[in-house]
Amino acid sequence: MRDLGTMLWKETAEFIGNRRFLRVFFIAVLIMGLLPEFQKHGIESSGGHGRGAVDILPMLDLAYALLASVIVVAQTAPDLVLRERSGGTLEYLLATRMPDGAIFGGKIILAAGVGYLSGLVTVAVQMIAANLGRGGPGWSWIYLALPQGRLIALLLTPLLAAYLATVGTFVALRVGDQRGAYLVTMLGVGVLALPFLLHLTAIRLTMSWLWRATGVLAVVVAAVVALGFRMFRREMLVLYLQE
Amino acid sequence: MDEPAVQFRALSRSFGGRSAVSGLDLEVQAGSVFGFLGPNGAGKTTTVRMMLGLLPPSAGSVRVFGLDPVREGERVRAATGVLPDAVGLYDRLTARQNLEFGARISGLAGARRATAVDAALRRVDLWERRGDRVSGFSKGMRQKLGIARALLCEAPLLILDEPTSGLDPGNIVMLRDLLLSLVQEGGRTIFMCTHQLAEAQRICDMVGIIQAGRLVAVGSPGELGAGTRRAVRIRCSRLDARGAATLPLPQGASIGPSGNDGEWRVELERAEDVESIVAALVAAAAGVRSIVPEQRSLEDVYLSVVGAQAHA
Repeated sequence: MRDLGTMLWKETAEFIGNRRFLRVFFIAVLIMGLLPEFQKHGIESSGGHGRGAVDILPMLDLAYALLASVIVVAQTAPDLVLRERSGGTLEYLLATRMPDGAIFGGKIILAAGVGYLSGLVTVAVQMIAANLGRGGPGWSWIYLALPQGRLIALLLTPLLAAYLATVGTFVALRVGDQRGAYLVTMLGVGVLALPFLLHLTAIRLTMSWLWRATGVLAVVVAAVVALGFRMFRREMLVLYLQE
Repeated sequence: MDEPAVQFRALSRSFGGRSAVSGLDLEVQAGSVFGFLGPNGAGKTTTVRMMLGLLPPSAGSVRVFGLDPVREGERVRAATGVLPDAVGLYDRLTARQNLEFGARISGLAGARRATAVDAALRRVDLWERRGDRVSGFSKGMRQKLGIARALLCEAPLLILDEPTSGLDPGNIVMLRDLLLSLVQEGGRTIFMCTHQLAEAQRICDMVGIIQAGRLVAVGSPGELGAGTRRAVRIRCSRLDARGAATLPLPQGASIGPSGNDGEWRVELERAEDVESIVAALVAAAAGVRSIVPEQRSLEDVYLSVVGAQAHA
């Protein structure tokens, strides 16, 4: 645990000192935080204020908060590995006694944590935008007001962030440039969307469906993360340095 | 007899069909400075990676303080401080944070860590720049910080890849003194990959020259310079060109002016032929003043060995 703490300390210090990371974080949060409010105004002004429209609005907030999280993790996770390689620090790190698991764990926890944080900050921005846009309490307009929203914000978002952080870390071991790694990591989200695209299931905003979806995602994430810890080996990274 | 700090036995490593290191046999004694010399791509980095357990050997074995890096990699790395070729500093961290990270990895905690980091910063004259990000540092400053980080862990073995790279002459002297004090007072072992042959000659107890994955020469700088000698330089008070031409030399030997006034150079096939040369000079009443084995610098040895191997 102390080694994991050391890696997290280093990753966090680097993250705070990285203007590019911070720019991606704040741009994603601001855009995803403000856009839904503008869209809601558009829906309302076009007369769409019936029951169907109200059902769509929490979904809109939810989708944007998840998207902010996905964008931030897909940028952060590969970059944490690519930077070590381009800066020559990976060679140093591998030559230390730091265990493989701590190196890997430090990276995915930081990337997932930053992704989760971006989702939560996006929600905060959405709340502020809703309050300002309506000149009063905007709680009822954001998905945190609903139990489904809380489940998604507090459980689904971190699970998705952990999944993408693991995928992004491994993608960076094979794809050497930031842009390519980002795009391939985003494809990882597409894999999760396959059951919906293949019409094996459909998204429902009922609590029972969401709990089931959360359970399935938790199993998938646990498997991917466990596989990541098993496969992340120094020998593999050194061969990657030799390429 | 003490266990060697590092031991290679028929160590080999290949990538695909290409051999990077082949049949390396070597021992580095604890408490010594070993210089690992060789041109770029000769196999030095691959050898170091095998020492650290980062690459398994294709054949043969490595032992570091008796430990097998393949099975006990973490223990080997814990006993080793490393300065990689690329130094490997985190640009977005300050000098202090970089050292603190190294100290944390080494298991230093609390006040002990803070004291060690402060002392390391002062030792390499970077105390005033401790709060600056490393991205703004010169190559020499980065090198010094990397060395400070490698020394922080107080490991018994230091692996330094081009430690003098980017350092000005004053800092090179500082580093030399520092490394020698670590060996003499701290009993540490230093395994140094370098192209700075003059520096290796000054501080290394032993050097090994690797070329195309094979160890082509090993010994102390003095032994290598003298061990391959095939010539002696002689000064005589009564030896002229005619007398030199009629000297009964051993088979394969030849004599000629060395280029220095009054000095002759005798090339020998075997080092022990020097006795016959002395006898011949005395018999010819040449008035021998001095006979000095031709001592070649490490650079001469390196260039002849590497050049000959490359030619072969």
